[in-house]
Order: sequence, then structure tokens, then C-alpha cells
Amino acid sequence: MNPATQSFIQEASEILEGLDVTLLELEASPTDSARIDAVFRALHTLKGSGAMFGFTALSKFLHHFENAFDRIRSGEGTVSADLIQLSLASRDHMERMIARGPDPEAGRPPDAETDALVEKIRRLVETMQPGSAPASDGTPTMRRFVIDFRPSPDAMRNGLRPDLLLAELADLGTADITCLGHHVPALEDLDPTVCHLAWHVVLVTGAGRGEIEEVFLFASDGDLEITELGPVGEPASAPGSASEETPAAPEAAQAAEQVPSKSTSVRVQSHRLDELMDQLGELVIAQARLNRISSDVQDSALAGVAEEIERLVTGLRDATLSIRMLPVELVFGKFRRVVRDLSGELGKQVKLDTRGGETEVDKNVIDSLTEPLVHIIRNAIDHGIESPQERAARGKPEHALVKMQARQSGGEVLISVTDDGAGLDAEAIRARAIERGLLAADQEASDEQLYNLIFEPGFSTAKSLSSVSGRGVGMDAVRRVIEDLRGVVEVKSRPGLGTQVTLRLPLTLAIIDGLLVKVAGVPFVLPLSSVEECVDLPADEKARESGRALLRIRDELVPYVNLDTLFGFDRLDEDDRRIVVSSVDGKRMGLVVDEVVGQHQTVIKPLSIYHRGIEGLSGSTILGDGSVAMILDVTALVKRAQAARRVAA
Amino acid sequence: MTETSEIEGMALTFSLQGETFAIPVTYVDEIIDPLPVTRAPNADAFAPGLINVRGAIAPFVDLRHRLGMKPAGPCATSRVLVLDLVVGGESTKVAMMADAVDDITETNLSDLEPVPELGVRWPTEYLKGVAKKDGALIILLDVEATFAPTTSH
Repeated sequence: MNPATQSFIQEASEILEGLDVTLLELEASPTDSARIDAVFRALHTLKGSGAMFGFTALSKFLHHFENAFDRIRSGEGTVSADLIQLSLASRDHMERMIARGPDPEAGRPPDAETDALVEKIRRLVETMQPGSAPASDGTPTMRRFVIDFRPSPDAMRNGLRPDLLLAELADLGTADITCLGHHVPALEDLDPTVCHLAWHVVLVTGAGRGEIEEVFLFASDGDLEITELGPVGEPASAPGSASEETPAAPEAAQAAEQVPSKSTSVRVQSHRLDELMDQLGELVIAQARLNRISSDVQDSALAGVAEEIERLVTGLRDATLSIRMLPVELVFGKFRRVVRDLSGELGKQVKLDTRGGETEVDKNVIDSLTEPLVHIIRNAIDHGIESPQERAARGKPEHALVKMQARQSGGEVLISVTDDGAGLDAEAIRARAIERGLLAADQEASDEQLYNLIFEPGFSTAKSLSSVSGRGVGMDAVRRVIEDLRGVVEVKSRPGLGTQVTLRLPLTLAIIDGLLVKVAGVPFVLPLSSVEECVDLPADEKARESGRALLRIRDELVPYVNLDTLFGFDRLDEDDRRIVVSSVDGKRMGLVVDEVVGQHQTVIKPLSIYHRGIEGLSGSTILGDGSVAMILDVTALVKRAQAARRVAA
Repeated sequence: MTETSEIEGMALTFSLQGETFAIPVTYVDEIIDPLPVTRAPNADAFAPGLINVRGAIAPFVDLRHRLGMKPAGPCATSRVLVLDLVVGGESTKVAMMADAVDDITETNLSDLEPVPELGVRWPTEYLKGVAKKDGALIILLDVEATFAPTTSH
């Protein structure tokens, strides 16, 4: 597919995503003229650019859709629930139309679905009642704009059609178009596939600057300058009106205008970011080696350079990581629609409340999050939330509430989905687990342990617990995705009150600040974000072999665990062992190590299938001396230690 | 005969505890001198650690353990074989130590004899067959079975 078409598809899907949100907002406040305008503009943009990139059927369909909103904009109709429903259906249909690619040369045969939607829209438009004219009354103020447009040299090769662009511009009002040909070279030097032309347009229109900019949306790699000269009727602000100054000094003008007219954001394919990250990982490892050599050589000049490079690498790392961070809102935004559709389908009334959408997560995490969250939300609405009758009988509010929250905690991002439904049924889970062979019939299990069984493969493959919709989605799939991201899924539930599923995800997938320690001579890296402090292990504690292992740090008793014992390593006869104090879920826990080596930038490499299952490890890394160290997952370690202590007690 | 099928018929032979084993050369990525192995905590005895193969971290597996031999450290002739395997659907580099790397030899699959039921000390599920070369016995390993991770069941 040619790159311009690809870029159209990407932009179009972003517009459709925005449209989804705007339509839902419009549903909540149907007379909001700004939103009506926004919908109209989105449809108009898609119509124009769709036609330009060969999506003719889409463009024709949009014409009808746009027409409906045009009527509302001019006060000839109002936003009704039917319109919103139809618009959402049309939006989804457009998504499918875009997914099938540009129309073939011969055109596309009419399809029943498109025709049915067009017919529905037509009928809706016919029955529209004039509303209270939410949008602009009468004719808008006509304004004069001067537009200078120079496509990038390879724009034609990318499929840009300046003629269609200019025609669209002319549609907005009265346009006076001048073509500038100063840059066309002599015939022998002319490459006919390169765009040498520029255009100067004086446009008198009722449209705003935004609408003009949208015409050029897909030609954004060219130079574009739009100057507003104020309302028509008054004398133009510049002496010697716009249409006359035309070919004066386009080069100079353009040179000066280039900077402000460029967009402040850049679109980059994500694999390039991944490449950048890989290179950075190698750089960090090489820099660790340099540091080590520098400390061996003991040369002050070398040490100076090594230090400077370390500082630069750290800066580069932070900058690169920040490029990859995106707000969770990108995922949350999609769920308003999911919740709306699903609750309608299941006859339940559900409100979605999202918080902490500004929390940022690595792009790769964001990309993988949608699917597990859809599973969790579906489960919450389908199985968790009761029918309206049941809710009424239990004295619960009629509208059920699903809360999606994101927040950062240390080196992790916590994303939770909470519903106020019936909660998990521990007995039903127990029965099913026994039936599925996940639990022995006489096995003791706490409610918490039972709840976690819902993530076991094979637990929900057959008919779902509530069998409402036969949509029992595998929660094991959720756990698999989250574990692939080095994250953890937790579930809490209270009978009658609701269920909370929490995803704990690492902030970044690639490079972390770590604390290098040694246990029985083996190097390990602890994520610095989960380390609170390091203290000495008092000599009298060292000899202690009994089960009680508590240490008084200032005024607090902190339980601790020997990592060598936990790891099945032999104890070294070290004199000055240290305790690394970490905090998990607000509880402090000490990890006894033989030596704290120091801080270390750590490039995380995934573990192979042979070692992935080991509890307490989250990855591996290469140290400055070329040896391999494993990265510890402190949360899992502490849990494991607590479980071991419970057994021992 | 094409070049690929010629390579396919080749096997790398190495020795472990005085016996000669063979694996198809197509699985062998490189042969390197022994390197320090980082022990993994609570690891399965078949995959006790990790090793840095020029910037890539590879699991280090202990073939002696799998074949029921006594553990032994590296000796003067020891070499590490780095293999390119597909394990559990993922392509993975795996490192293993051999007492010595002997030769690359052509194994003719039609000459392969089935492993005798008796008289073999090793678990037969890991063995593909036995070949004779210059009067010596060469044991061809079933790579997939031999390097499969230990399952916890």
C-alpha cells in the first residue's frame, strides 16, 4: 500500500476514535454546538480526504452522514437518541469500510449494509424537527484568508493530489488561486515526479481557520502558511491588499514562515522507537564496561571522560524513555463505548468512571493493555454486576458503577477495574476448580486463593459461571498478557459489594535503575524504585537460626528474610552482611544479602523458557564485567517469603 | 545432491564422560571456550544458570544431568556448544558444555541402528539411534526431547 494511503488510514482511525468520544459526549449534552461542529468537521474531513485517497464509497456514505449533522448545525434538526445510536453504528461501519482499503478502479459494488444505513439516515433527516438553532444563526461572518502552500518535493510520488485539495479549498468559499512556478527547473533538469509548484490562495469564507487547516491535514509534510486578514467589508489590514502582493518575495516569506507553520509533534513508526531503545540498551552496557575499565586503570583523565559519558547516557536514556511514555487515557477512552454497548446488550445500567488517565506508561505496555482490560470489563459487567431487579432487591443504586483507575507507585503502574456488583462466589469457584481438577476435593483454600484460581488456564473455557451471555472469556489470557509485560494480576472481592482486579505493571520494559547486590557470590539486581534503604545486619542477628526474624529499624520492627536460604544457595561465611529494605503494598520487608555493590543502570533482557517460571525473577542483564545478573521481582519475592513464613509458623 | 541436504546429513560429535554423542550441525550456532555461568536461584538441575554469549543471554543446560551422569566441572578440553533451538514454540539460544568437541561427521540416516533396549545407561527417550564409525559407537541425540525444559508435573 502506498505510504500516503497508509497515513490516511492511520489518521482516519484517529479521527474515528475521536468521533466515538465526541458522540458519547454529545449524547450527554445534545445541544452543545461546539460538539455538533466537531462531529460535522470530523465527517467533513473524512469525506474530503477519503475521496482524495480513493475511498469513494466511504466518501459517498459520509456525504449522507455529514448531511444529517449539517441540518442540525443550521438548526433544522436536533440531536436525538436515535441519531446518536445511528451515528455510532455508522462510525463502526466506516471503520470497516476503511479497513477493506481503497476502492478498486472499477468502483465497489453497492453493499446491503451501507445502503441500509444510508436509508436510515435519510429517513432520520426527513423526520427532523427544527430545534432551537444551536449553532450559528444566519450567515456566518465572512473572513479573508491568505494561504501559501508548497507541497514537499516528493508529495506527488506519495499520491498527493493538489488539484483536489484546491477544489476542496474553493468549496469553502470564494477562492482566488495563483500557481507559483518559480522553482520549476529547466526542461532538461526536470524530474516530472517531483513537485516544484507552490500555490497562493486568497479565500473569502465563513469557515474558520480550523476548517482550512483540515483541508491540508494529509499534506502536512509540505510548507503551509495561513494568514487571517480579518472580516470582509473592512479594509484589509495590510496596505496593498492580499491579492496584489502575491508573487512579491515568496522565498523570503517562506523561509521566515517555515518554523511556526510546522507542527510541534512528529509521527514516528513505533519500530523505530524500539530500534532506538535497543541501541540505547547496548550503549548502557558498553558504558558499564567503560566504567569498570576506568576504575581498573585509575587514570584521572579517563575517569573524567567515563563520568561525563555516564551522565550523557543517563540523560539520553531518560529522554528516550520519556518519548515512549503515553497516558493511560488512550486506553481508558476506548472503554466508554465498550461499557455503553455492553451494558445495553445485557440490559444493565452501568456508569463508567475513569481516574488517573494522565498516568503515563511505556508505549508497548499501552498497546498490550486494551485486550486484557476488555476481558476484565466484560467479566465485570457480565458476571459481576447484577440485573437491575437484583440490584433493587438488594437496595443497591440502580446504576452500577465500574471504576477504572490508574496510578503510579514506585516503579510500577497500578491499573484497577472495580465494580460494585455481587462479588466473586468463592463456593462456586471452589466447586468448579474441583470439577476441573485444579483443586483436590479435600484441599483447604482461603477465599483469596480461590479467587486467584479464576486466572488458571482451563478454569473458564467451558460455560461461564453465570452463563448470561456465554461469553466466559478466559482470565488466563489476561494473566498471560500481563505476565508477558512482567506484570502481575491481583483480584480482591467482597461478597455483595463488588470485585476489584488490579494490574501491576512495570513503568518501563527496557532499562531501569537497579541496585546491584551479591548473594552467595551470585550477582542480582533489585529495581531501585522498590528499595527504601540499606542497613547493616547486626552481628547478634547473624547467628539467629530460629523462625523469628525481625529487626528494629529506628522505631519499627521489620521482618526480614535471608535471600540465600530463599534461593537454595549455601550460606557464605560473610561478616558484614547487609539488609536491603523494600516496601511492597506499604509493608516493609528486609532482604538479607552478602554485599551491596552499588547502583547500576540495568538493561532488562527477558528470561528464556527454562527460567521464566522461577518465582521472584523478572529478567536478566549483563554487567560491566560481562557476567550475567538476574533481576529480582521484589513484590513476588516478598509474597513468597511471607508464604514461607506462614508455613513455618 | 544439493548443498543444504549435504549439510543436513552432517552431525557434530562431542564427548561426555568418555562417550561420543552427536547432534545435527544445523542446530549448532557456535562453539566457544567455557565462560563463567551465573547460577539461577531455585533453578531446575537441568538448567542451572545463565551465560553471556557475546551480548546475548543464553540459558545454560546440563546435559550430564539429563543423561543421568555424574556432575563434573570443565576440564582442559571442555567447550561450550551454543545451539539454536526452538523450545516451546520460541526460538532460543541454548548453551551446553561438552568435555570435548571431536569432529563433524557425515551421518547416513539409513546406517542408523535403533537403540538397543538393553545395555544403554541413558534414558532412551533422548536418543534417536546409534551409528558406528571406525568401530566406535556414536549416539545421535533426539534434540527436541533432549533439550525440552523439565516440566513440573
